[in-house]
Amino acid sequence: MSALKSCFARGFSHIYVEEGVEENPLAQEILSKFPKAFKVRIKHYKDVFCRPRQNFLVQESSRKLIIAAKRGELLYPGPDVCQDFGNENFYYTSPALNCIYSCEYCYLKGMHPSANLVIFVNLEDFFKKVEDLIKQKPVYLSISYETDLLALENIAPLSAAWIEFARGKENLKMEIRTKSANYPAIRHLKPADNVILAWTLSPAEVIKKYEKNAPPLELRLRQIKKALGDGWKVRLCFDPVLYFEGWEKAYEDLIGRIFSEIPACGINDASVGAFRIPREYLKRMRKNFPPSEIIHYPYAERGGVYTYDEKLKGELLGKVRSLLKEHLPEEKIFLT
Amino acid sequence: MFYIVTAYHAEARPVIEYFNLKKVVKNSRFQIFAGSDVVLIESGPGIVASACAASFLLSEFKAEDKDAILNIGIAGAKNADLKIGDAVLCHKIIYHDTGRAFYPDILVKHAMKEGVLETFDFPVAKEDLPENSIEGDMVDMEGAGFFEAASFFMPPHKIHCIKVVSDYLEKVPVEPAFVSRLIGDNLSLIRDFMLSLESVDSFFPRGLSREDREVIEKLAENLKLSFTMAHQLKNLALFYLSSHERLPEELFDFLNVRVNSKREGKNCFERVKKLLC
Ligand code: SF4
Repeated sequence: MSALKSCFARGFSHIYVEEGVEENPLAQEILSKFPKAFKVRIKHYKDVFCRPRQNFLVQESSRKLIIAAKRGELLYPGPDVCQDFGNENFYYTSPALNCIYSCEYCYLKGMHPSANLVIFVNLEDFFKKVEDLIKQKPVYLSISYETDLLALENIAPLSAAWIEFARGKENLKMEIRTKSANYPAIRHLKPADNVILAWTLSPAEVIKKYEKNAPPLELRLRQIKKALGDGWKVRLCFDPVLYFEGWEKAYEDLIGRIFSEIPACGINDASVGAFRIPREYLKRMRKNFPPSEIIHYPYAERGGVYTYDEKLKGELLGKVRSLLKEHLPEEKIFLT
Repeated sequence: MFYIVTAYHAEARPVIEYFNLKKVVKNSRFQIFAGSDVVLIESGPGIVASACAASFLLSEFKAEDKDAILNIGIAGAKNADLKIGDAVLCHKIIYHDTGRAFYPDILVKHAMKEGVLETFDFPVAKEDLPENSIEGDMVDMEGAGFFEAASFFMPPHKIHCIKVVSDYLEKVPVEPAFVSRLIGDNLSLIRDFMLSLESVDSFFPRGLSREDREVIEKLAENLKLSFTMAHQLKNLALFYLSSHERLPEELFDFLNVRVNSKREGKNCFERVKKLLC
């Protein structure tokens, strides 16, 4: 296996740079980190990202990087399948597309035609859009939506830039969701009141089996502890909760372990959501990926979304909620 | 299977010898040579000829995603960064006429150089063109047509242009024997690249085998399953195969079952579902 693996070119062996962003300071910073990469000029990021017949699965073994500027819409209303934590005006934005991890259940595999990573470097345009919006109303903004932004911090310090942008803006509340152990990359920043660092946590066996390349539970917990100690607002996300043989015991162990290591009183809130995915994405994943207990599980479909049948979903959410209730007040637990 | 498109016989000859290909008679004006896992077509010069030859080859031989297609030939280099005889794997191919660019996915390691190829509709002599009018590192007359046509059939990591530098775009004719030698000298590098391309597929688990697919189609027919149910059956088979080596033996018993009504079929389908869940 490893012999075969060695036939792949290293990740980011090629960096595609959109015309017009070469001089952008963030683009230059990113490029300086990959001096050996071939730099290929492109007109538009979609010329590479949206080529027909790309093989996502194979590309994951040798991901390329695309540096571009995002035009047109930069903020989107949060979709119904996502938790808004009781906030009005839920929006998300995508400063990057795709992820350096490869979770088997990740909907990005069905959403994007390519596994390549796109980083949008026109941060000021994004900031301007948010500034305009928060002049009209309070906004709850998820910025790590089609990626794991903190995982990319050593490539492009986007989380830090967004945190500094958000700091002190009363009408803005921001969530950065991650599975990374990359908190040290932003640890030099003072905690911002209106920024929530949200860690997705899964049972150790799920991480090992389905969250390829993502850090193990122990490292995520260590960083959560540090972030809490430094005074950050921390959210715990149990999303997706997956069904598998022995799931009850696995989630008991997970939640037991979390609160044996982390003080529950410091946790801002927690979200719990059963695996769910838009029909079109799952269809594409089923077509393009090899047999998988997650992708090919016989889900029930409701309103264009695939998820577990009502009974099983109820059991999964009920169990995790009751486990959490032993440590957190009910009003801090949000179910999707 | 590897498909190779060359423009001229002088480019094809060393490939034919190296892979021990034999001439195949097909009803077309192209010359085709085939071996056990390589088929070569001589397109003749030009973007349209190369596109036609690539399309003909891939449809005539019913190419699949696991196959790959290469355009192998000579090209003129814009400057001396590239040496005569260098084999260059192209990471960008520009069609000069329209400015449209194509990007092969270079996912495997290789020992060639890399560069940008620019395809012109006419033979290029540097002195005839205004300065800075060539964007590519190399110039040819086929690459963009080949790539665009092949993209209709194959994924971008299985379409590649490999160009061997033959000149510096001066008005000096390149002798056929020299062309053959340039290509021949690089064939072991090219073969290594082909082996890497091939191994990419064996690295990933496959979905349903042809036998599995046949069983599922037969079951769907025998049990008079609707389109949706047949689809569900296929998905359940994949779900089962995610944790088992092969489909369960009991499933094959259903191959002998014939149902007389949709309702009977539905009942059988419920039993099949239980086997696979
Ligand atoms: S960490 Fe999130 S974005 Fe990244 S692969 Fe996993 S699910 Fe997808």
